[in-house]
Amino acid sequence: MSDLIIEGLVKNFGGVHAVDHISLTVKDGTLTSFLGPSGCGKTTTLNSIAGLEPIDEGLIRAGDLVLNDTRRKIALQPEQRELGMVFQSYALWPHMKVYGNLALGLKLKKVPNNEAKKRIKETLELVGLEGMEDRYPFQLSGGQQQRVALARAVVAQPRLLLLDEPLSNLDAKVREQARAWLREIQNRLGITTVYVTHDQAEALAISDMVAVMSKGKLVQYATPHEVYENPATRYVADFIGISSFINGTVVERASNFTRIKIDSGEILTSSRPAPSSTDRVTVTIRSERIRLLPITTEAVANSIPAKIVSGLYLGSKYQYVVKTSTGTIRIETLNAAPGEEVLLGFAPEDLILLAAENAGEEVAVKEEKEAPALT
Amino acid sequence: MSTLEKQVVPREVTLKSIPWDRIVQWGIVVLTGLLVLFPAWPILYQAFMDKPLYEQDKVATFGNFGDILGSGEFWTSLRTTIIYAIFSTILGVTLGTFLAIILSRTDIPCRKLFTSLVLIPFFVSPLVLAVSWNLIFGPQGYFTIVVRNLGLPTWDLSSLPGMIVVTGMYTAPFTYLYCISSLSLSDSSLEDAARIAGANPFTTLWKITLPLLRPAISFSALFTVVSVIESTSIPLILGLPAGVEVLSTYLYKLGVVGINKDYGSVAVVSILLIILVSGLVMLQRKLVSQERRFVTVGGKAGRPKLIRLGRFRWLTFALVSLYVGIGIILPLIGVIAQSWSPFLSPMVNPLTTLTTQNYNTVLSVPAYQSSIINSLLISTFGAAIGILFMGMIAVIAYRSDFRGRKALSYLAMFPRAFPGMIIGVGFLWAFLLIPGIGGMRNTILALTFAFIVRYLPLGFSNISPAILRISNELDRAGRVAGMNWIGVVRHILLPILGPALLSGYMLLFISFLKEYNVALFLFSRGSEVMGTTMLQLTQQGTAGPVAALATIQLLITVVVVFIASRFLGVKFHE
Repeated sequence: MSDLIIEGLVKNFGGVHAVDHISLTVKDGTLTSFLGPSGCGKTTTLNSIAGLEPIDEGLIRAGDLVLNDTRRKIALQPEQRELGMVFQSYALWPHMKVYGNLALGLKLKKVPNNEAKKRIKETLELVGLEGMEDRYPFQLSGGQQQRVALARAVVAQPRLLLLDEPLSNLDAKVREQARAWLREIQNRLGITTVYVTHDQAEALAISDMVAVMSKGKLVQYATPHEVYENPATRYVADFIGISSFINGTVVERASNFTRIKIDSGEILTSSRPAPSSTDRVTVTIRSERIRLLPITTEAVANSIPAKIVSGLYLGSKYQYVVKTSTGTIRIETLNAAPGEEVLLGFAPEDLILLAAENAGEEVAVKEEKEAPALT
Repeated sequence: MSTLEKQVVPREVTLKSIPWDRIVQWGIVVLTGLLVLFPAWPILYQAFMDKPLYEQDKVATFGNFGDILGSGEFWTSLRTTIIYAIFSTILGVTLGTFLAIILSRTDIPCRKLFTSLVLIPFFVSPLVLAVSWNLIFGPQGYFTIVVRNLGLPTWDLSSLPGMIVVTGMYTAPFTYLYCISSLSLSDSSLEDAARIAGANPFTTLWKITLPLLRPAISFSALFTVVSVIESTSIPLILGLPAGVEVLSTYLYKLGVVGINKDYGSVAVVSILLIILVSGLVMLQRKLVSQERRFVTVGGKAGRPKLIRLGRFRWLTFALVSLYVGIGIILPLIGVIAQSWSPFLSPMVNPLTTLTTQNYNTVLSVPAYQSSIINSLLISTFGAAIGILFMGMIAVIAYRSDFRGRKALSYLAMFPRAFPGMIIGVGFLWAFLLIPGIGGMRNTILALTFAFIVRYLPLGFSNISPAILRISNELDRAGRVAGMNWIGVVRHILLPILGPALLSGYMLLFISFLKEYNVALFLFSRGSEVMGTTMLQLTQQGTAGPVAALATIQLLITVVVVFIASRFLGVKFHE
């Protein structure tokens, strides 16, 4: 087992950077998710690691094995990389039984027959499909096919496990079970894993580290907790969870708080530091961290008045869209709103401060429709 | 109280109108039934009659069956047919499969060019192909003489092995097309997965790509066997001179050539052929239903990676070029050269003897001239009527509440069991038997009907997928908006089907232009088509006019295919 190291990875499609100078390390035995909308380059990155796409620049190393190094003109073929991969479509060979699907890789690696038999049996037990050796893929349910795909990927004890949206073909319910199960298997095998998904909840739930990508660039690479609590950019805040944004100017920087005058005139206090580069900031607020307060005559600190535009009752929570003088804000709350006119109350530690010009640029990225052929 | 109650009783709406929907549906169904059964019953009838069916004092008998089953010639030709069909199929399917894999999965040079060139036999009449092969590689062929003059050993194309080689070349595009479409539909991650598992590109081809083609290969193998059994041109041109007889040429001899035409034997051989072909067609249907096993969860259809052939790249290129050059291009150049020269021979530079004599003959002799005009008329108008008719059948079969719609779709596929020549026989006899319509027998109208029946399954199965792709919510929306079924067909289905009908029309046009099998029995003075004239001229041994006719047919095909694919966006295959 081994670290995966990517340095300066570049992949162009017709003059466009599909993957734009990505560098990161996936620690031995951990699971990293590549997260982003379709067209962000996450699948291209995965295919580059797998050797299914030739890369234009950079170095990819799995432990002591250099997979790609454009400077030394090293580019191993997919079959030389000793990887395991689960495809979105599972790509089970329909003309072979489950046993055959698992055995082919072992046979090509010259594993003796009885050893192969033993390993296939063990691996099928691991994924909970003991005794299914003689089934054809078409005789299996979607969930079972997915398990066979995973078994096939790990049976030859690969250096890395690559997963390309492996859960996207499953029903919502099965999907949540499958992701917990997948994580458990990965832990048990202790295999370095790269996981590609566009589902932020899935990425947060399953990963040791999340690599958020946009337009071929790595925007943030951090733990799920860090990515959610301290998004590096407005793009990350917007893509992961539901956030609202208010623009303003820093009026006071202190050691343990920052005061911002938002564009509608109110002063908000955040316990977080403002970016040092600029005074123009975007105050970012998670929708579930906003309190709805009744309107009072006396001033309430860290609050702005708002009017409810629409509300949805979702059973476990309420979802509101409210209008303030600086724009619309989305709110999720456990309690119903106290009236049509409300005050939005913020705790200082929940006001995330991001540099504003950065934010404007990222909005444009988000709005862009899916780029073709990159994933 | 009672007056109030009366007021809430709803107004009874009764609409009585002529059920045009049903009238149109029944009309098409009855017409289909008549057309399809028209050629079938006289054959059945004749098989059990001791004398030709137009004679008065005939009696029912089993004697015809006894005659045929006791005839050594029948058994010999059956055996030859089986050998001929099996080996041609093996050759054609192998060639087609490898071409498909090479041209869709490897980095062979000039890939794009080859993908169009290998399809040429698909568009060219097998008759033209046989004629041109004979011109170049036949016993007196140009290339054969060149090789003989070099003192090298030559071959005999006029033989069973020769027939097999030419037929294999001719049928390879069927398999190629099926395999190509199967390859383009298959999920490329199946191949990626094999690479990840440690397979090199060639192992991947062998262990994954090729086995995945199994359904396409067996399907095209059966298709090829059927078309080899039906084919008459190659056996007539290459087999008959050498005394090699297959069932189709045996039938031809019994019914067309001989002075004493043996009607009973023709009927019996026809029935045996129909049984043989229907068995194969049924087997093919069964294969299609089993193919579902190969369908897995669909992934994104990624572009498959091309295999780098490395040092084999130019070797592969050379082999494919050899096939395309020798098998397809050279013979066609030969036939064009022959059309401009009195006698094609390596001793004479054809440029010194250029002549328009062959074209003059073809364009001035009334019988030859009318065969060109007839072919064009049948192709242009017959195909148009045909495709609209087939479109209506498909619409009724898939988009109506007509009770017998399932039966209708079987009826439309029924002529597949009939070799083309036998459809001609059936039509001929039906015209002889039914009083009052006998006059139609010598017109191209008779040929048009027979051609439409012959290509009913092709047109029907060509349009069906396009209809099935249209969401039936569109029909429902039309009905809710106030249209009846005819309105839906006219304003929604047929307009959406426009491009599919156009492709179907082009396909029928070319098929009708090439067709000669159906006409072999059915044509007469005044209703000859290019195929029958070419065949007659070939048997008289006049190479020049045959080549001129073949060149004219090629030219029409090239122009039509070019216009259709370039300007009308027609796709002749998926």
